[in-house]
Order: sequence, then C-alpha cells, then structure tokens
Amino acid sequence: MRIELLYYPECPSHERALELIHEALAQEGVSAEVAVVRIDTQTQAEQYRFIGSPTIRIDGRELQPQLHLPYRLTCRTFQREDGRLAPLPSLSMLREAIRNSEGG
Amino acid sequence: MEIGQSAYDFELPGVDGKTYSLKDFADKPVLVLFFWCNHCPYVKAYEERVVQLAKEFGDRVAFVAINSNDPTQYPEDSFENMQKVAQEKGYPFPYLFDATQAVAHAYKASRTPEFFVFDGERDLKYHGRLDDNWEHPDQVRHEYVRDAIMSLLQNDIPHVSHVPPIGCTIKWKH
Repeated sequence: MRIELLYYPECPSHERALELIHEALAQEGVSAEVAVVRIDTQTQAEQYRFIGSPTIRIDGRELQPQLHLPYRLTCRTFQREDGRLAPLPSLSMLREAIRNSEGG
Repeated sequence: MEIGQSAYDFELPGVDGKTYSLKDFADKPVLVLFFWCNHCPYVKAYEERVVQLAKEFGDRVAFVAINSNDPTQYPEDSFENMQKVAQEKGYPFPYLFDATQAVAHAYKASRTPEFFVFDGERDLKYHGRLDDNWEHPDQVRHEYVRDAIMSLLQNDIPHVSHVPPIGCTIKWKH
C-alpha cells in the first residue's frame, strides 16, 4: 500500500494528519509507504491536483474527493461521520479507507 | 497588534446592507472583533461555538465578524456567499466584508478565525484563539475568549492575554 500526504505548510493540520495516518495503519495492522509532499506554490497545487491541506491519497484514491473545488493553497474541509466539518478526517475515516483499499 | 493598543476604526459593509464602524458598538462594554470567512475548516469547526457565545453575551458584548479574504481566489468568501452563510447559520452578529484588506492589515491579523477582545475604552485585552480544542467542544479546558469577556465584564484584567490563533491564513491579494 502507498499513502500520500500532501500538505501546505501554512495550514497547521499536517503534523496531526501524519500522526493520524500512522495511528490508523498501526490499528489496522497494515504496513505502508507514506510519502509526504510539501506544496508551496499555486503551480505545484495544480500539478498535484491539490485542493487543500491535508490531501490524503491511499493507493491513488483520494480521501473525500471534492471535484468542484479549484486547486489552491489553503486548508481543506472534511465531513466527519457525525456531519461535523473539520480540518482533519477522523481516525475511523482513515481506518475505513485503509481497510477498503486493502480489500479492494 | 499589541495588547493595550486601541482598536482601529473602520467603515465596512455588512451582509445586512448596513455600514458599520466602531461607534455602532459604543453602547457595549466589551467588543469581540474576529476575522472570519466561509471556506476555512477551522472557522467551520468553531462556527457553532461562536454563534452560541454571541447569543449568550449579546446583550452586553458586541461581536463583529470580518472577512478579509480575497474572493477572486476563494469564491466561497465572496460577499454574496457571506450573505448566504450568515442567513443559513443565523449569525447573531454583523458579518462585514473588508474588500481592500485594510482592516486586516491594520489589526495585523493573519488567520481565520482570529479573535481580538477589547474593553470599554476599546483597548486590546485579549488576542488569539477561541479556546484550546477546535476538535472536541466537550473536551475544551480553557475558553480564552469567554474568560476574557467574563473578566472584562467584572472590570478585571483577563488572566490570559494572548494565545496564538489557529486556523487558515488570511488570503491576501497578489
């Protein structure tokens, strides 16, 4: 499994995002390569199809894709299971995405 | 801006069609001015808490939200979308548009959300984040803005005057 974490350093959520990814992998008992990609410019945002920080892709599949949004340098919103909007996915969302990728 | 400095005056349009400046809030002994926007997930995470706080203290404290983001890059933050969000969420406070970004520059604001709490003389007494847990409202241990409000309403000085804001950067025009 390959996980990509793309982040914009001005958004404060990326360190916790990386922790969550590792927690989710450990709890699922899955080993994976985690590639961390820093996005600093609008050109990079377009090149990496980056709509906000953090963007997490598991085997190329983006967690909560939001196709209507432009590529840009900002924080990104996730909708949690309880409907709340947040700057990070929940641990259970990440675990489920990892499970689905393993199963798929 | 530094603790103790006076609030800068402004003249900004609100989503309700009125134009606001500091004198419009002169009858309240405390002013909570905060930089806000529509698109930032930290704003969304705090939205309900801020609305509740404004409802709770609205008779004694003026709450004023200001959006300074460049809507050409972030169309969710346009004036029209500000009007929609304010109506949908029932904002009990004026939501103002700082189109030139001059107010954000004057206050040296850098994030959304970012809170400035002023006393009756309109001197800055607290600057920073709302509380210490954006993620779990039920696990908040320090409510910095609420504590500052309570202190000022009792003619006291807030115990905490600054905690760095957490949120998205203000989206400056290029």
